[in-house]
Amino acid sequence: MANNLLAFYVIIGVVAYVVLCFMAKKPAPPHRNLLITIYFCCLAGMVIAGLPVHWHIEFPWQEPIPAAFYAIFGFAACVFLIYFAKGLRLWLPKDYDYYEKKRKGRE
Amino acid sequence: MIEWLHPGLIFIFGTFLIPLFKGKWKQAYLLILPAAALIDVILMYKGVFGTIPYSTWYYPFLDYELVLGRVDKLSLCFALIFSLAAFCMVLYALHVKSSSEHMSEFFYVGGALGVVFAGDLFTLYIFWEIMAIASMLLIWFHGGRGSEVAHRAGFRYILWHLFGGIVLLAGIIMYVAGTGSTAFNAFSWGWGSEYLPSYLIFFGFILNAAVPPLHAWLPDAYPEATVTGAVFLSAFTTKSAVYVLVRGFTGVDILIGIGAIMTVYPIFYAVLENDIRRVLGYSLINQVGFMLCGIGIGTPLAICGTVSHAFCHIIYKGLLFMSAGSVLQMTGKIKCTSLGGLWKSMPFTTACCMIAAASISAFPGFSGFISKSMIIAEAAHFQLGIVWVLLLLASAGVFHHAGVKVPYFAFFAKDAGIKAKDPPLNMKLAMGIGAFLCIFLGVFPQYLYNILPYDPVALGFIPYTAAHVVSQAQLLMFASLAFYVLIITGVYPPEQKKLNLDTDWPFRIWGAKFMIFCKEPLMDFASWVDRGMKRISAYFASFGRNPLRAIRIALSTMMVKALRTFVLEFWWRVFKYYERDLEEAKKLPADKPIETVPLGTAVLLIIILFLLYLVITLMYGWLAP
Repeated sequence: MANNLLAFYVIIGVVAYVVLCFMAKKPAPPHRNLLITIYFCCLAGMVIAGLPVHWHIEFPWQEPIPAAFYAIFGFAACVFLIYFAKGLRLWLPKDYDYYEKKRKGRE
Repeated sequence: MIEWLHPGLIFIFGTFLIPLFKGKWKQAYLLILPAAALIDVILMYKGVFGTIPYSTWYYPFLDYELVLGRVDKLSLCFALIFSLAAFCMVLYALHVKSSSEHMSEFFYVGGALGVVFAGDLFTLYIFWEIMAIASMLLIWFHGGRGSEVAHRAGFRYILWHLFGGIVLLAGIIMYVAGTGSTAFNAFSWGWGSEYLPSYLIFFGFILNAAVPPLHAWLPDAYPEATVTGAVFLSAFTTKSAVYVLVRGFTGVDILIGIGAIMTVYPIFYAVLENDIRRVLGYSLINQVGFMLCGIGIGTPLAICGTVSHAFCHIIYKGLLFMSAGSVLQMTGKIKCTSLGGLWKSMPFTTACCMIAAASISAFPGFSGFISKSMIIAEAAHFQLGIVWVLLLLASAGVFHHAGVKVPYFAFFAKDAGIKAKDPPLNMKLAMGIGAFLCIFLGVFPQYLYNILPYDPVALGFIPYTAAHVVSQAQLLMFASLAFYVLIITGVYPPEQKKLNLDTDWPFRIWGAKFMIFCKEPLMDFASWVDRGMKRISAYFASFGRNPLRAIRIALSTMMVKALRTFVLEFWWRVFKYYERDLEEAKKLPADKPIETVPLGTAVLLIIILFLLYLVITLMYGWLAP
């Protein structure tokens, strides 16, 4: 139970961080604020819903925080994904006529 | 009473009548064919043609036998989804006027159904190649501005597939020579040179399944196809490859690793890509990765997961390609950078795209959830830690690019001010059926589970447990949070109007180099050889016509050449004599120019002869008792 509570605080922390990120920006229109509130309530609801669930623990890394493992994993996975993709952007993108130019340049 | 009716041949033979119909009659005919195939498959389920499993339609071929109808629960499941998808997709493509485009679609579906029911390797190969060529035509039909690009992409596509086909054929021939049997069943697998035929066949199969690094044909060519062609392409080639892998290579553990890499590799590209249909192409590879992982695990539950995931995947991926196609058709644009804010003007398409996006992200209550979780659960059950983490990462990734990015950039984001409206009725109907099936299978999974080769519920799998639902919902919601946070904070990479290099880069660069080598030095050498040969043949021809004259010319020429180098006053007369003689000899008759036949004609004649030879051999094979 203590672990679950710990997880809960972690999630609250993440959410609070995001809200702070928002507040640094200029204020949004009111209906948008409502949508955002509902969205964050959903996020918190997901974690709270995880607390009473009987989890099947399959791997050791799930043990410390079973209730919020998937939440943290999902967040971290997407952040990793985007940073990695940003890294790839350094050398993967070329102009649309890249191959055309390569071909024409030799002819 | 017919013994059995092959649904693929309904498509293939029905194709030839398409050009005869016009207008409404043509549309009716186009719908009747897939409906007939669908009814045919349902009748098979009902056991009208015999108790499942059975195999039928044997034909002698050389010294072997072709088995066109091998019917069991696995092939029926794939045949059902193929004919169902074909019906929806033909409905989607009903407004297309070109008969030839419809014909290649029908050949393509017929080829895929032929692969599914093939009971021996030769039949498999024949339908495999029908499928490859018909699908290339679907890419080539892209007219207008993109035709040049589509043409090139189609050529690259067919080069990959012909290469894969040849490797497959080599594998099949070695296998048949080694074992003496043409039956298409599970292949033996292990490490060592004695398994070479299995490796070659495996290579042919995984090329069609778009396994990295052999996947580049898919994101290269599919987005260049026609609006309706891309919808067809999304369903059949890769899924028939999944079918043959289930049939031939269940439990081959290398597929677990291949599948796991395949799920992760394309998601980075999907994040970077700007063309929506290309994003969907990458996410197609990612989804097939889940299926290959299931095949590699190979337990009955994993196979159930693979087959049901293929089933759901064809529907939701078709629906995603349909909505992207609608956007392309109605606005003429498909790049993320030039779209946005379409939800107001295309509400129906938006809703369908959102449903498909929720299904592909495996949101609880949609079709992806009831199938994908089976594979992930099996990976966890066998303690495949790294694979499990990769699959979860890919689940979050697929939600991110196909579930959020595609709907967000096409229908929401900032308004690009495009005037558009929802597509015509037939396209809307097809999308409606797809969206209905996505939700229906998600809410009532037992209807899908009942037709699988095994019963997942009896194997102890229940999709809607609290742990499954909450874990998946947490994963997806917090993945969306990450997307949100990164967009707000400006970390998210903005869409670029760029092309991303993929594993076909070396082939495209070296291929161009090779072509230039063929065009310049190699052609120079060829024409040099050609000129030499022509001179020799011309000499022989003139010698044959008038030997005396030829000898006289040769002698005179030789003498003139020999003397010209050191013409002194003394030799002048002799030189003049030979020169005059040469002119006189040339004036003699019988020196018509030789008639040459172009090389192409000769090759054509040889091919016709070979064809006749083949036909006679085959006829003899059929006629012989």
